Amino acid sequence: MKFPDPVTIAVPFFIGLVILEMIAVKRGARGAYDWRDSAASLMMGFGSTLAGLLSAGAVAGLAYLFWAHRLFDIPIAWWSGVLCFVLDDFAYYVFHRSAHRVRWFWASHVIHHSSQHYNLTTALRQTWTGFLSLGFIFRLPLFLIGFPPALVFFCAGINLIYQFWIHTEVIKRLPFGLEAWLNTPSHHRVHHGTNPRYLDRNYAGVFIVWDRLLGTYEPEADDEPPRYGIIKNLPTFNPLWTACHEWVGIARDVWNAPNWKARWMYVAGAPGWSPDGSRDTADVIRATWEREQATPAE
Amino acid sequence: MNLLTLFVIPAGGIALLVLLARLLGFNTQPRLASAEQAGDIARDALIGFHATSAALGDDARAALVASTDGRVALVRPHGDRWIVRVANDAAVTRDGDTLTLALHEPMFAPLSLRLADAAAWQTRLAA
Repeated sequence: MKFPDPVTIAVPFFIGLVILEMIAVKRGARGAYDWRDSAASLMMGFGSTLAGLLSAGAVAGLAYLFWAHRLFDIPIAWWSGVLCFVLDDFAYYVFHRSAHRVRWFWASHVIHHSSQHYNLTTALRQTWTGFLSLGFIFRLPLFLIGFPPALVFFCAGINLIYQFWIHTEVIKRLPFGLEAWLNTPSHHRVHHGTNPRYLDRNYAGVFIVWDRLLGTYEPEADDEPPRYGIIKNLPTFNPLWTACHEWVGIARDVWNAPNWKARWMYVAGAPGWSPDGSRDTADVIRATWEREQATPAE
Repeated sequence: MNLLTLFVIPAGGIALLVLLARLLGFNTQPRLASAEQAGDIARDALIGFHATSAALGDDARAALVASTDGRVALVRPHGDRWIVRVANDAAVTRDGDTLTLALHEPMFAPLSLRLADAAAWQTRLAA
């Protein structure tokens, strides 16, 4: 069975929704745009698509290699499609959590967080180096279980499309109890926030239940709007620097590291780790903030 | 897939959206309203930063903010937002009332500020 590429089909809708959001913001809806920031985001998205094409053959080859050693013969059917979508979303959660907690993976994922804006163009700000950072390994277990690669890639495409529209400030909260189990604009705004309260929270792709179950859920507080971006916001809109700045940082740190343990930790430790503690990880920032919150103001 | 779908259509789409953003006026050049605002921006960006004093550049497009722990933060615009860096390690030169700070960071362009008390801030940065 041949599946269409849902992302290709969705591109005109992406463009149309960006235009609608820009007009809505111009007319007073919540949100913000900056043309330089949007240009950078769109360039990153374009580059990411090209980089994805270059590595598509290798990723597909690995998928079929793992599928050739599958545990079960899973047919393409409605029930396997639903199961695959749910398990793929869990694989995305694990990937995404790792992408924030391991600097090697973060070096690719940081690109998506490098905008200080949160709008639909931010959704398109994607990595150029996903293949280098091995982000695809998190989906390999699905092939090993026995889900056909075409089905997994189709589900992954749907997941990606879902995550586009939640990158907006225009929508405050969803009705009908959807906030309880779906990842929503509100939940994902938290994820993009650099406020200590919001750091490394809400990793979900489609189902926020993974965060609720695994202790990484944080609701958006109405009295604390997220401050978007990264801890050390980039001083440039240059797409090439945006794409590779963290890799350059890793290379520099590994080169100057005092020993092999430090070299390993600079690669596999949390972003912000340093041997002398002179930099701050998300955990350190959160702990410092919590300490300050607990201390009465003088 | 050919060159048209690979390059021309995406490039056209990007150009269209960027042009629209400009036409809609999303081109703000931010200015600091007060020293307090500069302090708030620095506090939000740097954990444990408690501003004690701040000095705005004469065009209100950048500021230096001192913290209780001896750190001095540089607040400067980036697009319509702000970026903040601890500037104590910056290479600082002074020409009259103009301080120029060059941070040891790739892509971070040197920044000049005209300050009423530039000499005092230079001393503070060197401390």
